[in-house]
Amino acid sequence: MPRRVGILPVFIGAGFLAVALSFASDLRPFIPSEPPTASEQNLAVVVNLSNPIENLSMAELRNLFLGERSHWPNGRRITLVMMEPGQPERAAVLSLICQMSESDFKNHFLHGLFTGEVFVSPKTLATPVGVRKFVFNVPGAIGYVRATDVDASVKVIRVDERLPEEKGYKLHIPPRPSK
Amino acid sequence: MKVSTLPPSRVLPAPGLTGWRVRRRILPLLLASLVTATILQAQQPKPGDVTALDKQTLQLLLQRIDQLESRVRQLEAERQPAAVVSPAPGPTQKSAPPVNEAEQQAESQAESAVPERMDLSKTLLRLRGFGDITLHGDTRKGNTTAFTLGQLNLFVTSDISEKFKFLSEIVFEGGPDNIYGVTRGEINTFSVDVERYLVQYSYNDYLNVGAGRFHTAIGYYNTAYHHSTWFQTTTARPFLFQFEDRGGILPIHTVGVSAFGLIPSGRLGLHYVAEVGNGRASRSPLTQEPVQNVVDDQNHKAFNLALFARPEAIRGLQVGFSVYRDLLAPINSPRIGETILAAHAVFVRPRFEWLNEALVVRHAIFGTSQVFNTPGFYTQFSRQLGSYRPYFRYQYINASGTEPVFPDVRLRQGPSVGLRYDASESVALKLQYDYTDSRARAARNALALQVGFTF
Repeated sequence: MPRRVGILPVFIGAGFLAVALSFASDLRPFIPSEPPTASEQNLAVVVNLSNPIENLSMAELRNLFLGERSHWPNGRRITLVMMEPGQPERAAVLSLICQMSESDFKNHFLHGLFTGEVFVSPKTLATPVGVRKFVFNVPGAIGYVRATDVDASVKVIRVDERLPEEKGYKLHIPPRPSK
Repeated sequence: MKVSTLPPSRVLPAPGLTGWRVRRRILPLLLASLVTATILQAQQPKPGDVTALDKQTLQLLLQRIDQLESRVRQLEAERQPAAVVSPAPGPTQKSAPPVNEAEQQAESQAESAVPERMDLSKTLLRLRGFGDITLHGDTRKGNTTAFTLGQLNLFVTSDISEKFKFLSEIVFEGGPDNIYGVTRGEINTFSVDVERYLVQYSYNDYLNVGAGRFHTAIGYYNTAYHHSTWFQTTTARPFLFQFEDRGGILPIHTVGVSAFGLIPSGRLGLHYVAEVGNGRASRSPLTQEPVQNVVDDQNHKAFNLALFARPEAIRGLQVGFSVYRDLLAPINSPRIGETILAAHAVFVRPRFEWLNEALVVRHAIFGTSQVFNTPGFYTQFSRQLGSYRPYFRYQYINASGTEPVFPDVRLRQGPSVGLRYDASESVALKLQYDYTDSRARAARNALALQVGFTF
């Protein structure tokens, strides 16, 4: 028995060391995105015109788009608007904000609903026009469109204190394929 | 689901007009049209008449457009009585924000206004299923290799209103006596357990309140995986978090009220959970229903308080502790004060998982100085490599042989290694080997092959 007790901490210690080494490789620091290339466009995060929010950090955006926040600071319930899977705007949000793949994102929401922690269920829309219309009509909505698709019906918010046209803005998207 | 009320536009042939008959009747008409067109071409008006004719035609067309527009408006009004706020282009929109009081109405209007396909998040009832089937065998004397039906879990949620939500887990399960759903009864009887039954109110991110039957927020595992083996990396829960009706030592379920939410703490991401409930019945006799669903055997209520942090700096890290307090009243024994202290540090990312939990169950017998401390811990590590996820778990629990509530548990410890293969987004195959060293019994080697799925 004493021999077993002596081996156990060594065994556990070795295991923890192995895990820590493996885990260290997974802890990649957040690398700010490169400035957009000439062909890239910016992705604008849009909210309803009545929403007093002006700026969100990347961490706050991530919490919002993962359904981990259910209410705006003014008490209004958040309604999350996503574009359909396969759309480049959605791919950019999953990659740059959520840092997840499509299947990870689905699993995250399924798990969140299962645990009861996620109160927000995303709406899925197919076109930027649909996103704009929805955000215009729903005071608690937040969505995203290309900066070139923005019009006066929605409000563009700053991300880390920067608007899409400003230098250092982090959300970029490949250009829309020409037909 | 929205169903169009407009009839499908189809051209139906008149009765009797089929096949060669149709061709025979249409052919003369085509010939007549051709002749008429030729005659009309020959009778083209003089240039002076063209202007008058064009003006007349234009006037008629404009009248027709007006008639059609008014008809469209009428039809739209009939189909959608509440007019949708539609964004008109131009900067003047900023002076006409939507009416805030009618958010719910605006949301539903927006949904009907947008022609794209929507998800079903506004559906009143949502159903998701989880299940597993296992082939299991071990070296313990008397045990046989068997196919085992795992828990068939129907997870039902409903957005009752903007602030209220309902969720439940309805589980069909086989008991240890080969009975499906109950621990006593006839062989192969099917039955059902309502494992979670919870109505939740969300005031804001800082205050959410739930009432009903829920999983106690002791540690991490219990509220992270609930009754779904598909969500779990491994084939089964750790000893520490085994369900009550499977010999588990913790009050996994309770019936009562729960409050949870964020604590304003900036980048530290502090959360709280506070629970009050009936607690569990004493485990003697073992066949008794351990969760006090309807009647509490005493007025004293169980309390649980949990605090945990999810710091922004390290995404996926959660560190926390919980304190649970209850009073047990076993039959023919003095009352027992129960305190459960639990701590956890977990790091979970889509490709990586490292779970560490430790706890102590303390039982103090009233009227004596006897105190029984049962420590336990587990550590679990896994990493996703493509569709494969190899994992390792070591678990330990050490209860005294004279422990008043679970004398049968005693010392159990050992490693588990396994491989999970995600055959699709919804189906996982798992192969797991367990070695369990036990003070009460001989060491056990076990092998399990499981298919876990969601549907």
